[in-house]
Amino acid sequence: MMENDSPMVKISNIHKVFHPDMHVLCGIDLEVKKGETVAILGASGSGKSTLLRCINFLEEPTAGTVEVDGIVIEAGENDKLRNGRIRDIRKRTGMCFQAFNLFPHMTVLENIIEGPVTVLHQKKEAAVSYAEQLLQWIGLSEKRDEHPSRLSGGQQQRVAIARSLAMKPKVMLFDEPTSALDPELVGEVVEVMERLAKEGMTIIAVTHELHFARDVADRILIMDNGNWVEQGPPEKIFNNPEQERTRQFLAHIL
Amino acid sequence: MKADTNISEGSGIPAEARKTLTQIETDRAAYKRKLIISFIILAIAMVTVLIVLKLDFKFMKNQLPFIFAGMGYTLFVSFMAISLACFLAVVGALGRLSKNPVFNSIASSYVSLIRGTPLLVQVYMWYLALPQIGKALEGYGFTGIQAYFTLPALTAGILALGVCYGAYMTETVRAGIQSIDPGQTEAANALGMTRSQTMKRIIFPQALRVIIPPVSNEFIAMVKDSSLVSLMGVWELSYRAIKMGRRHFQSLEMLITVALIYWMMCILLQYFQEKLETHMARGDRSIR
Repeated sequence: MMENDSPMVKISNIHKVFHPDMHVLCGIDLEVKKGETVAILGASGSGKSTLLRCINFLEEPTAGTVEVDGIVIEAGENDKLRNGRIRDIRKRTGMCFQAFNLFPHMTVLENIIEGPVTVLHQKKEAAVSYAEQLLQWIGLSEKRDEHPSRLSGGQQQRVAIARSLAMKPKVMLFDEPTSALDPELVGEVVEVMERLAKEGMTIIAVTHELHFARDVADRILIMDNGNWVEQGPPEKIFNNPEQERTRQFLAHIL
Repeated sequence: MKADTNISEGSGIPAEARKTLTQIETDRAAYKRKLIISFIILAIAMVTVLIVLKLDFKFMKNQLPFIFAGMGYTLFVSFMAISLACFLAVVGALGRLSKNPVFNSIASSYVSLIRGTPLLVQVYMWYLALPQIGKALEGYGFTGIQAYFTLPALTAGILALGVCYGAYMTETVRAGIQSIDPGQTEAANALGMTRSQTMKRIIFPQALRVIIPPVSNEFIAMVKDSSLVSLMGVWELSYRAIKMGRRHFQSLEMLITVALIYWMMCILLQYFQEKLETHMARGDRSIR
């Protein structure tokens, strides 16, 4: 029995150790409610991308528990069905990468229907018709049959978002989605993310994009050296941070 | 100044720059001209050598149909062997990349053993030594097995070439798979694809583009190495040429003839290779 306000994502005591002297995450906890938009900020190398990648097990946590939409996976547990459960989490989480990672040998449409058809075994017609709705929603209907290499970075990232949304995910993870973009292309991607947040998607975004963090996110978390420094609503973090480290960090990005 | 159709006045390009562009054009045309002349001189030199050597062209012409009749064997052996090699290469590459220790060690040993021994030895191994293994097995009670271990020359040749080239191509395929950005695997994983789905749908189609040129090279090399089956008495191109040359004491004529036939075949294959590469490069930014 799941309660309605139980968290969509719940991470408990996550550790990630790459080498004995590289302790990237030091016992991180995070709860994200359904429909909440969370922005994770922090200096580069602070562990925020690693944390995000631990949620869908692109990175295997060294210790701790990950729970997404009621599916619980312990780090290091050895269970035959575990890979299947990891895939269940991945089907429920969309992920957008800094480098977009669209499939270059497929057209835009083929990129978007790949997940639904191959993973969810949807009928191709159904997947195409939903993909067309998504293309309209991101404003790229006319690029339907282009290959990704013909699109601008901003367009590629919007297609990557549509590709994730085609799986009808419960959570969207954004790993620095605008960091690889030319400044004038950032806006179009953030605008799509903003609409997604308004439509009630649960979002966890690692980003330094100020507009998104300040005006779209419900909550901001600051990470440093694999630990949370501070968290709270954007107004508080930006206008009245408690920690000196937060102040230092904001001074860099503002 | 020489007439230049591309760079007209009033195109907004200053006279200085136009002069440089024209110079570049002129140099390029001159280089092309000299290149063609060099090729022609080389061709003339080759033909001269053939004439000076007092080759019996009439004999060559008369024997041509007999040699050409071996073309079927050469192509058959090559195509069968390359098909086998491609299959082994894909399985081998998956083995080399596998986390399964048994599969991995078998694939690695296969590549190491085959690449570490001469093809000639391998050909004889399949043809001459395998029956002995069959005989030994019969001694252990597997009656009737020797017949299966005694291979016809053609089969032995195809197996030898296919297994040998499969080992080299294993490394080609492995490198091709590894050349694909890990972000592609991550994106596929993030969608919830299994390992085999990721390989089949995402990695392999992209790796193919990288693999095609070296595999075409291997195939061209194999067409020529198929002449090794002549050692077992298969009547393919080179076997016929060598036999005829010896019989009439005109080996030079016969060898030159068969060499030219191989050369023409390879030029043709190279042409198809280029076509295939252009075709495979669709959707690739670098081509457009």
